[in-house]
Amino acid sequence: MNVIGPAVAPVGQPTRTAASGHAWVGPTLVGIALVSLVIWIVVFLRTPLATMPLYFGADYFVLDATSMLFLLVINAVFLGISVYMSSRFSTSAHLAEKIKFRAALSLAFMVAMNLGVLSNNLLVLWAFIELTTLCLAPLVAQGEGKDARRVAWHYLLYSSMSLALPFLGFMCLTRSAALQGQDLSFALDQLAATLLAHDGSGDSWQRLGFALMLFGLGSKLGLAPLYGWMPETYEAAPTSTSALLAAVQFNISVVAVFRIFQVFRVHEISFVSHELLIMGCLSLTVAAVQVMAARNYKRLIAYACVSSSGVIAIGLSVGKAAAYGVVLYIVSNAFVKALLFLTAGRLRGVYGTNQVAALSGVIRVLPFSGLLFAVGTFALLGFPPFGSFMAEMLILSGIIQAGNLIAFALMCTMLTIIFVATGRSIFPMLWGPSERQGPAIVETWVTALPKLGFVTALVLLGVYTPPPISALLVAVAQSIGGQ
Amino acid sequence: MRLPLILFLLAAVIPVFFGKIRSAPFWLSLQALALAWNGAAHQEGWTVHGVVALVEVIAVRAVIAPLLLRRAIRLRGEPNADLMPSNLFAWAIGVALIVLVFDFGGAAMADAPALALGVVGGMVAIALLLLSTNHSPPAQLVAVLFMENGIAVFESLLPEPWAWPVHGTLTAVYLVTVGVGGWLIGTPTGQATIEAGTTRGEAS
Repeated sequence: MNVIGPAVAPVGQPTRTAASGHAWVGPTLVGIALVSLVIWIVVFLRTPLATMPLYFGADYFVLDATSMLFLLVINAVFLGISVYMSSRFSTSAHLAEKIKFRAALSLAFMVAMNLGVLSNNLLVLWAFIELTTLCLAPLVAQGEGKDARRVAWHYLLYSSMSLALPFLGFMCLTRSAALQGQDLSFALDQLAATLLAHDGSGDSWQRLGFALMLFGLGSKLGLAPLYGWMPETYEAAPTSTSALLAAVQFNISVVAVFRIFQVFRVHEISFVSHELLIMGCLSLTVAAVQVMAARNYKRLIAYACVSSSGVIAIGLSVGKAAAYGVVLYIVSNAFVKALLFLTAGRLRGVYGTNQVAALSGVIRVLPFSGLLFAVGTFALLGFPPFGSFMAEMLILSGIIQAGNLIAFALMCTMLTIIFVATGRSIFPMLWGPSERQGPAIVETWVTALPKLGFVTALVLLGVYTPPPISALLVAVAQSIGGQ
Repeated sequence: MRLPLILFLLAAVIPVFFGKIRSAPFWLSLQALALAWNGAAHQEGWTVHGVVALVEVIAVRAVIAPLLLRRAIRLRGEPNADLMPSNLFAWAIGVALIVLVFDFGGAAMADAPALALGVVGGMVAIALLLLSTNHSPPAQLVAVLFMENGIAVFESLLPEPWAWPVHGTLTAVYLVTVGVGGWLIGTPTGQATIEAGTTRGEAS
């Protein structure tokens, strides 16, 4: 059965309703995303790692291994999301009405993301994280249901509160520098030099500042205890916005954490390892309990994202041996989350609900999307041959090498619970008896291509990583203290 | 220069204990004026950067943001309640926080940056107290703006004023926060739902 039709075929049930006057917006969005990705690929291919870091824009921006890797990831993911948005614009009357608004905010969000990832100044990076939130909040408010605007407001509120904590951390660093008679610059390269000029171990203000920064950014990553905004927002937002939140915006918070690690690794950072370890273990435990209770597949993916953040936090707390695994895990997760949310949007578009109980036999109704959802679920759960499998193995190996057997046991137990609970909800949804009659719904190549691209990237990360990408991953891992 | 900082703190503390939600834009303006005074007091000579930064604080934080907040509060149409609900528990915590802030500043009276640090810490604490005691969205937005004003005091801790890009980006954050926040809370929950005729799954 041919389940993927020509590019012009209708996508399932919705009728073609795009306002003809705005028909150019979707393709333009895709075009800009494509051009942006191509530019960064060219920059990557033409800029040897040995020549990095390159400073520009009065040293407010830097192109180094970290920014290069995340620029490639976020722009690749955004290209897929923009294709999805473009296809939805052309098949939904409601979306067609808001097409300019959504496209403009998405582009503004990506500009802020790109500049934020390139930032060489902690204050500017902080401001860009806040700006990405301010771009996404109105998009979250476009979700269905009367709660969408309330959820968007909560998201904005949570973000403002959690980002106040890193700012308090900056203040602590300033106080530390003042007490030591130093002038503190927030340029990342100079900040590291200033901290090095101290006695080498950092004073209490520095430690407090570091801890506050990580705690605040932990909230943006969805780490317990400040994870409450994440499931609510991912569920209420339109699917494309959920994908932007989970697979793109998440990465700017990761970059901020990496930047802080790069600055502070000159010191002994073991005092925050415990903070990260506790937040990571707590997140895994919370996610395991909530995944068992979840009856909504978008919420289930959201809790799986909380568990992913937990794995990242545990990996970062171990450092050294697990660093490469953490970087690989983060990159893999961007593709996994994009794949899952975009496919979930397809299911939502056809079935009109997010409830797991209302869906059965998806693989027969939507063979291609059902298959991709299954693939995404397996990748999310860390199955071979995907990159997430390799990454989890490396992180677990790092934990063993660090001798933290309690964390190892807890992580294995919680991941097993999450696997069983996810399978119990998702597998009947995919392979159960179908109540819908009629032939399978045809899906277009246009919408299929980005998702296939995500799957290809995931498999490549797990099986064969091209040498330039591998070198980039290693460079980033080394920058955060990896071996 | 401690006077503007003390005025700034008073403009945050008084409305929390005695102010109504509709008076919040006025207090926000007052905070911004104190902020501008503090910024001017830190300048060793009038430079273009200093003048523009001053104008920006007055225009954005003392005029535009309070007007946007006032508009959002009016559109929301909620009763003009206390900014922080008047109950003994909230008052006790509030007073304790203020005492702690002054204690923090008082411990280093000779050290102006320590006072500034205390003011910023106090503002964040007051904002968190407001958020934990009042669930009304306009009051929550006021808390966020109080906190962002507190963050702006941070500049006075630094030996050099922020460079243009930092100033511009942080001002943009403040302005967009009040703009987006005002837009989100400007319509009571339930009225801003999907337009008629939208089928389930369409917005995805």
